Amino acid sequence: MSDTHAPAHRPQDLDDAIAGGVGESPLRPDGTLKVRGDFAYSSDLWAENMLWGATLRSPHPSARIRSVDIGPALRSPGVHAVLTAEDVPGRNLYGLKDIDQPVLAEDVVRYRGEAVALVAADHPETARRALDLIEVDYEVLEPVVDAELAAHDDSLPKVHPGGNTVRYQPIVKGDPEVTADVVVSGTYTVGMQDQAFLGPESGLAIPAEDGGVDLYLATQDLHTDRKQTAAALDLDPELVRMTMSGVGGAFGGREDLSMQVHVCMLALRTGRPVKIVYDREESFFGHVHRHPAKMYYEHGATRDGDLVFVRAQLYFDGGAYASKTPVVVGNGTTLGVGPYDVANVSIQGWGMYTNNPPCGAMRGLGAVQPAFAYESQMDRLAEALDMDPVELRIRNAISRGDTTPTGQVLDYPAPVAELLRRVRELPLPEAPAAGAEPDIRDLPGGASNTTHGEGVVRGVGYGVCIKNICYAEGADDFSTARVRLQNVAGEPLAMVHTAAAEVGQGLVTVQQQIARSELEVERVNIHPNDTSVGPAGSSSASRQTYVTGGAVQAACRAVRERLLAITAERFGEPAAELSLSGGKIVSRESGVLADIAEVLGSEAIEETREYHHRETFPLDERGRSERAQVQHAFSAHRAVVDVDTELGLIKVVQLDCSQDVGKAVNPESVVGQIQGGSAQGLGLAVMEEIQVGEGKIRNPSFTDYLIPTILDMPPMNVDVIERGDPNAPYGVRGVGEPPTISSTPAIVAAIRAATGRDLTHVPVGPEHIIG
Amino acid sequence: MKPFDYQRATDADSAISLVSGDPEARYIGGGTNLVDHMKLGIAEPGKLVDITRLPYDSVESLPDGRVRIGATVRNSDLAAEPVIRQRYPVLAQALLSGASGQLRNLATTGGNLLQRTRCSYFQDVTTPCNKREPGSGCSALEGWNRHHAVLGASERCVATHPSDMAVALAALDADVLVEGPDGQRTVPVTELHRLPGDEPERDTVLRHGELVTAVELPSLPFASRSRYRKVRDRASFAFALVSVAAAVELVEGTITDVRIALGGLAHKPWRATEAERVLRGAPATEETFRAAADAELAAARTLRDNEFKVPMTRNTLASVLRELTRQEGS
Ligand SMILES: Cc1cc2nc3c(=O)[nH]c(=O)nc-3n(C[C@H](O)[C@H](O)[C@H](O)COP(=O)(O)OP(=O)(O)OC[C@H]3O[C@@H](n4cnc5c(N)ncnc54)[C@H](O)[C@@H]3O)c2cc1C
Ligand code: SF4
Repeated sequence: MSDTHAPAHRPQDLDDAIAGGVGESPLRPDGTLKVRGDFAYSSDLWAENMLWGATLRSPHPSARIRSVDIGPALRSPGVHAVLTAEDVPGRNLYGLKDIDQPVLAEDVVRYRGEAVALVAADHPETARRALDLIEVDYEVLEPVVDAELAAHDDSLPKVHPGGNTVRYQPIVKGDPEVTADVVVSGTYTVGMQDQAFLGPESGLAIPAEDGGVDLYLATQDLHTDRKQTAAALDLDPELVRMTMSGVGGAFGGREDLSMQVHVCMLALRTGRPVKIVYDREESFFGHVHRHPAKMYYEHGATRDGDLVFVRAQLYFDGGAYASKTPVVVGNGTTLGVGPYDVANVSIQGWGMYTNNPPCGAMRGLGAVQPAFAYESQMDRLAEALDMDPVELRIRNAISRGDTTPTGQVLDYPAPVAELLRRVRELPLPEAPAAGAEPDIRDLPGGASNTTHGEGVVRGVGYGVCIKNICYAEGADDFSTARVRLQNVAGEPLAMVHTAAAEVGQGLVTVQQQIARSELEVERVNIHPNDTSVGPAGSSSASRQTYVTGGAVQAACRAVRERLLAITAERFGEPAAELSLSGGKIVSRESGVLADIAEVLGSEAIEETREYHHRETFPLDERGRSERAQVQHAFSAHRAVVDVDTELGLIKVVQLDCSQDVGKAVNPESVVGQIQGGSAQGLGLAVMEEIQVGEGKIRNPSFTDYLIPTILDMPPMNVDVIERGDPNAPYGVRGVGEPPTISSTPAIVAAIRAATGRDLTHVPVGPEHIIG
Repeated sequence: MKPFDYQRATDADSAISLVSGDPEARYIGGGTNLVDHMKLGIAEPGKLVDITRLPYDSVESLPDGRVRIGATVRNSDLAAEPVIRQRYPVLAQALLSGASGQLRNLATTGGNLLQRTRCSYFQDVTTPCNKREPGSGCSALEGWNRHHAVLGASERCVATHPSDMAVALAALDADVLVEGPDGQRTVPVTELHRLPGDEPERDTVLRHGELVTAVELPSLPFASRSRYRKVRDRASFAFALVSVAAAVELVEGTITDVRIALGGLAHKPWRATEAERVLRGAPATEETFRAAADAELAAARTLRDNEFKVPMTRNTLASVLRELTRQEGS
């Protein structure tokens, strides 16, 4: 309500607090819908007259395709199209880094689950049955299944013509041959983890009159999908329009293409809308997983506990296609010593092709595996030195001004020692009173009454990690935001339009908060994400609040500038003297000049801006780079674990975390990220592993691939600190990944402390504890 | 999934004649196992005869002290039944430790008994499996066999039976009432499931078309002191790695009678007769418990990934016996 008769307010009369800005925790716009089950996910998409697509997949991890006979499938009633590699209109290859994966297999299949043919039919069941009628004649070949062997044994078959190495990267710093007083070594393995998102891969493609196609889908990165899809469809990217539909989790598993090209091919061929939705089993074959790894480590230290050297060989099994393997090798090697200051480093990393399921992006990309190894090593070293493991870590912690193994000087806070001290000070759970009957719900096995406390021992363990934020090694990493400010029914309304994927992390809320703070308006709407605005890059690498947040900030500031310029002209005051506050335009001299809505009138102000973070540079052949990565984030965990040594059961009793987030743009979301990341790290520590034998996944279901339930996840003390990064918008530091990384080694350390077992593999199961 | 006919039976006779007259026909209870198998291509019935409307949905206490459980009683309802909770706690506990609330609301007593192995090769139609395709070979022998059998297995098949409920029933000496084209018969639950031997494709001794109508529990007063313990990879909603169902009768520190069955170890719920023999008449001491476990597990043969099941079973059994005898004595 504007009262034109009232005298101009002076600034001190203003209620200038626009609620829900940066630093607050406003309600998520999607929250209530999701909790009530009203949120529309991409699997709920529906169009009049639509067909259903289905995908025929290879049953063999390695085979030559002699022939494909689609005749019987094509003739079956209700089937509208059956497509094979021959029908791919454009380039039958795609990939995020190396373009090496066929849209549909041509003469060979390289993993079990590889797409071979497509069907569109009037009912999903008709489509699935038609798949059974496609005759593929395979000559089955011996699969390559061991990544370490593949790295060194040239006699193995080549999975790709160029050989089996996707990327080899050494990192050398100081003297790689140096010796030390105390040396510990170990070999560590990490199983294949699944992202286990709940919303399966799904999309709806609608052919357009202009010869293009509109695709509604769940993804992490619209523009990268579009680029790859357009090339495969042989269409101008402008004719491939993509719109984000409700995403049911991602965690990296939606970075690579799954059904995108397939569903568009079927729609363009049939001229009808086509929908593809994977079921849970197909989803296990339809997306990449976390790279399993085998890692050899050697740590040397002085008797006082100063690290002298770290040497390591890391083998990552990339499976049949490259996907993000090059980045995994980059992250794994550059971060391979952990958040420690080490003078002499020699690390070699191999990312390999095998005939195992393709592995790619997953939360903590490439940093999860070495963190398990180097933190296990730090505990071993502490034991060898008879030192407190936290003290050893603090003593060697990297800090601002230190140089990483790649030669990069950290020019922002790196409060590793502080995080360790803080997490150690968080309250511990009460030990069960001696002699008292324990509450079985608190024991391993929980309410199922498995343990009665006889063989139960408690252990405490710590883990700390480093993760690079944003794209690295010379990638031009940017995001785009379009912000439009207009007067709607007498009130200013900001509309924020980006292509950045809300995958559950709360990005929609963060964008609203930034616009509120920058434009001092209450109402901010988020435009549906689509490709009609510039790229945002992927919701990965903990980067969206940084880069898309930066773009929204920049676009808002550009809008504000124009608004103030208009005001300056109208009121004859210098723009430099004007500011926004509580929905009004205020002059330093004369107080409130006008409501924002008034100045806007019927005009909208719209600005589009890109935000690019500081340049990064590739690694050279010794792994050196002035700035390989733009930012690093750190978290520390403490786990308290009870283990029933008779039954081999583990219960994580408490899991605490201290993390530096630079600036908590939305404190509640930050805590949510830390809790969720920690749960995913707990899963890797004690239960999650895709079992692969002879190239085949043995447990492609949530009955057989176990993820933690609410009963497995303990209470957490979460301690968030804000040591702003001067280079980042608002000082933010990526939040999503670190807690996934440091939780796993902390839990395993606690199990070791309880049992005295070595434990060199995650997940740890009962078989590692008893017998 | 292959197309199929669906019929809802209204009386047992017509259900039996519908199924026994058609080799492709199958009964369907809650469908929580069979429908999964149809989706995976393991089962391809041409006709489904839904038996959930047959009058087998109640639990009756019989005059002679026995309890009759209708074949279509849902797992949730059975677990909540006061007579089961009081007189046969082992059965209520076993039921509640299985699957999830939603699944238990659908799953029937008959279907639970007749659910098939979770062997991952059995569930993957692209791999050899003697149970699914007789003569094709057993992929688990040299493959991922963490969940597989350590007792009573054969060269042809090392699968385990996944049911928790059936383990409790085996301990309780329950009988299974079966009706077929040739009339009724009673099969002790311990004899319902087979060992794999040379015919792993046959899970049970039932003939095609035979309908489970009920399960009967003997009066067994000491079963009111009974326990089901299930060891698994997470706190809930996971199949047993190992489980123990036990009931103990204790008189002045001596075990006068005992029933034990083990789950997760064999192609059938494993009645631990050797352990029972050692325990019967023996003092309730730690040594006896260990000796009993060792006697039962002497025949264990482990595979690459399942060695842990032996110590896990030994420790679980000892722990359950400790608990039951402590309870009884105090
Ligand atoms: C995710 C998941 C987790 C699970 N976890 C567990 C667990 O932890 N523990 C556990 O014990 N079980 C578990 N189960 C299995 C579950 O208990 C069984 O699926 C269920 O008990 C089967 O009962 P139903 O009535 O649905 O059987 P159906 O699927 O209807 O039938 C199973 C079989 O029995 C036959 N059949 C059914 N009734 C009769 C009858 N009266 N006479 C003759 N034949 C009949 C059918 O023809 C079919 O062959 C789990 C299942 C799932 C899907
Ligand atoms: S163990 Fe039995 S069910 Fe499993 S693969 Fe072997 S034969 Fe088939």
